[in-house]
Amino acid sequence: MVRNWIEYRTDAWVQWCPGCGNYGILTAIYKAFAELDLDPKETVVVSGIGCSSRIPYYINVSGVHTLHGRPIPVATGIKLANPRLNVVVHSGDGDLLGIGMAHFVALGRRNVDLTVILHDNAVYGLTKGQAGPTLPAWLRTKALRAPNYQDAVEPVLIALASGYTFIARSYAYHAEKLKEIIKEAIEHKGSSLVQVLQPCPTYNNIMTPKWYEERIYYINEKYPEYDPIVKVPGERDKKIAEILDKFYKDSDKIPLGILLKDISKDTFEDRIEKIIPGYLKNPPGLRYTDLDGKSLIRPKDVFKDRIVKA
Amino acid sequence: MNGNRVDLGLIIGGPQGGGIESAGQITVRTLMSKGYDVYGTREYHSNITGAHSYFNLRARSDIARSVKLPVDFLIALDAESVFTHINDVKKKGFFVYDSGTSSTKIDKIAPMPKPLKVRVKEKLSKLGLGDTVADAVRYIENKDVKVVGVPIRELLKETAKRSGLSVVSVARVANTIGLAAAFALIGIEREHIEKAITLYFAGKEKAIKPNIVAVETTYDYIKDNFKLGNPLPNGPYQGKLRMVINGNDVVAMGKIAGGLTLQTYYPITPAADEALYLESYRTVEPTDEAKEKLGLDKVGTLVIQTEDEISAIGMAIGAALAGARVATTTSGPGFSLMNEMVSMAVIMEVPLVVTIWQRAGPSTGMATRNGQQDLLISLFSGHGDTPKIVLSSGDHVEAFYDSIRALNWAEKFQTPVIHLVDKMLSGSLKSIDPPDPTKIKIERGKFLREVDGKYNRFTITEDGISPRAPLGVAKQMISSLVHNEYGMVTEDPLLRNQMTEKMLKKIESIEKEISESERYSVYGDPDSDILLISWGTNKGPILDAIEKLAGDGIKVKFFQIRTFKPFPAKALTEAMDSSKVIIGVESNILEQMRMITRMNILRDIPHMIVKYTGRTMYEQEIYFGVKEILEKGSRKVVVSDGA
Repeated sequence: MVRNWIEYRTDAWVQWCPGCGNYGILTAIYKAFAELDLDPKETVVVSGIGCSSRIPYYINVSGVHTLHGRPIPVATGIKLANPRLNVVVHSGDGDLLGIGMAHFVALGRRNVDLTVILHDNAVYGLTKGQAGPTLPAWLRTKALRAPNYQDAVEPVLIALASGYTFIARSYAYHAEKLKEIIKEAIEHKGSSLVQVLQPCPTYNNIMTPKWYEERIYYINEKYPEYDPIVKVPGERDKKIAEILDKFYKDSDKIPLGILLKDISKDTFEDRIEKIIPGYLKNPPGLRYTDLDGKSLIRPKDVFKDRIVKA
Repeated sequence: MNGNRVDLGLIIGGPQGGGIESAGQITVRTLMSKGYDVYGTREYHSNITGAHSYFNLRARSDIARSVKLPVDFLIALDAESVFTHINDVKKKGFFVYDSGTSSTKIDKIAPMPKPLKVRVKEKLSKLGLGDTVADAVRYIENKDVKVVGVPIRELLKETAKRSGLSVVSVARVANTIGLAAAFALIGIEREHIEKAITLYFAGKEKAIKPNIVAVETTYDYIKDNFKLGNPLPNGPYQGKLRMVINGNDVVAMGKIAGGLTLQTYYPITPAADEALYLESYRTVEPTDEAKEKLGLDKVGTLVIQTEDEISAIGMAIGAALAGARVATTTSGPGFSLMNEMVSMAVIMEVPLVVTIWQRAGPSTGMATRNGQQDLLISLFSGHGDTPKIVLSSGDHVEAFYDSIRALNWAEKFQTPVIHLVDKMLSGSLKSIDPPDPTKIKIERGKFLREVDGKYNRFTITEDGISPRAPLGVAKQMISSLVHNEYGMVTEDPLLRNQMTEKMLKKIESIEKEISESERYSVYGDPDSDILLISWGTNKGPILDAIEKLAGDGIKVKFFQIRTFKPFPAKALTEAMDSSKVIIGVESNILEQMRMITRMNILRDIPHMIVKYTGRTMYEQEIYFGVKEILEKGSRKVVVSDGA
């Protein structure tokens, strides 16, 4: 460890409720960033709106606090303009899987090299406890006026179907194990999803630590032979079939750990380099736009298909 | 045609997807080869293939900037075009059609809109005519128009014979036969259309030969059966290096020349073509000087097609935060989706250009038709107090330089800049001299490539604009919430006031630094007490109309609003206060420009010429509209020419 994790703390008051799962995630982030020795100047945490999206104020790196549902497009723009930056998205289940679902799917299709940490507590905390997109049907958490009569979405399956190349699930109260997964996600080249199951002590009175701890298990403990790595493109579908077969049979249990690590696909940045040679050397955020205020091109020399010698 | 001055108007009509685009492009190049300046609008349905589509083109020996109706000659490549344009050729003009369609009945034309069929049949039956193309031809002949039926099928067979190819393989040259017939009749020498074909099909050598043989065959046919027209005088542009572009092209060119490094978009008509042209030039050759001094061997521009317009603006904002010079392009419906992020770009102080290709709304409206209905949403986009810059281009050349200006202003003032361009500009073709980007200095404002020590992104300054280091250059906090100078969230009332007042200072800087001369242009007679006020692509038809009015002894001054924010308050107030008759011209029903004028300078525009058919303004509509207002004092003249 080169940096002390304390260096990543800020002096802002952390405004989450006592016992909130976000504390565990924040601690895991501090330690993961420290162990990876991430330069605060070259690391950007991008968030949406909600309790978890306050996190950029608490991490001493660059932060961008965007709009509800929109951290992924903004983070993608940042990364594509300057691929040298480390970009990590933090947001909640309502943000990423409700209002922002189109962007969540699109990121998987692109495989941009950034990490998404999904803070999943199945409720909308800041608006006082409405059902989140991951709240199972017919549960009635305490702020609901009626049982939740919409079905839940399954982010891991959506991520598998969308093309994410690193997919993991973890639990907020297991900060040490979470830290290891986050480190691996950040080091992975491509779009990574870490779904973090997170009790909300204020509004989710059903999915409590006890509720989770009765259901979770670690893949590498129960299935030590399971290998999440996909090395060649054709293997991915087989791996998805294996995941469904192994981990989705027993609906009462929740597998934790790395479900998939696909190293067979190009990142979006590498794909851009193929269509714009030189992109990685002179990306849009770094390249010159002019020469002392003068345009770098002359239209009559460039747009030859529109020239007419009358 | 007046002495040596050439002023030709022509329409080419045919089915969408049936080569009408190529026909228009070849025509423009033919007329350019003849030495004329050319302008042409394109009308088409929201359809891939089959619906009626046409170009209205104008060639002048001085400057072409609007189209006219009726035109001097018309080429109807199918039966629907004959019926649709039954009144669109003037006396003594030529109407060229495919004589093979003579027996086609109007009711058999499936794509033709029913209300138009009813209107045309009424006209025909009033003269006791039936409902075939042959009847329509008699109707047109009755109006003293020379109708020329060209047997396209026979000429195709002859073309096939002469080029040693099968009739099927030369079928695509049918349009060229129509064009060649018209050019032969009006006196454009064969060499010009041949040159145009060679230029247009450069790189597709196989297409050139049958087209050239078709031209030769058609000229021979016209010579043998009618009479080749006396050659028209050549125009002054012969031998000059020029460009032929449409509005979509020229905005993309302006952006590349203006240093754009990243653009996002979600496919939408009529903005997508701009992004596509940009993408086809994603790597270009820099000048030798740039190569040498900056060590750049290529200039790359990244164009990203996103999952929706929200993502388009979001990615552009993210890229701008990381130092890219960015834009996104869309039209009204897409901009509606972008609104939340316009507001975010304001509070995050992000330099961002949004190009809006205005089409006819509300809602999906008429996706391929013209409108100027997005002025209010542009000015008032985004919730909260949201200062921004809104500019509008009047023609192709302005659009090139405005695209550079918009990028400059965005970076200088670190706020969204909305560049309004009309649909009419997007698809209109125009011959221009190659634009010269060195006329406008590329500015990046207070952009920092290096920072020492602690950095506050939102430092309070005299002019409301803070030094801007991108992500990666300095650690920083960017928040959509009210924040302090560092970027840390705050709900402190006094700090909130300070930061909000910072925004007000920025508005004052915009007002101070964008000079009055960049906000408007004045044309026509400066001493006239008749004032026309307008914006966008009405500029061309207005300039032509005031020339015509001057010919009648009516002197008119024209004030073109080029930026709505900042508003040309002083100049417009003076112009209005020194005029007796004030007439506004715009393409929307709410009279949005009139509302904004009242809001800014507390002065009303008492007379209006408005159009909301979704079609371009025509010279004659403004000419007659002004006359009507002068004679009758009408409050509002609604015009509706054009198919």
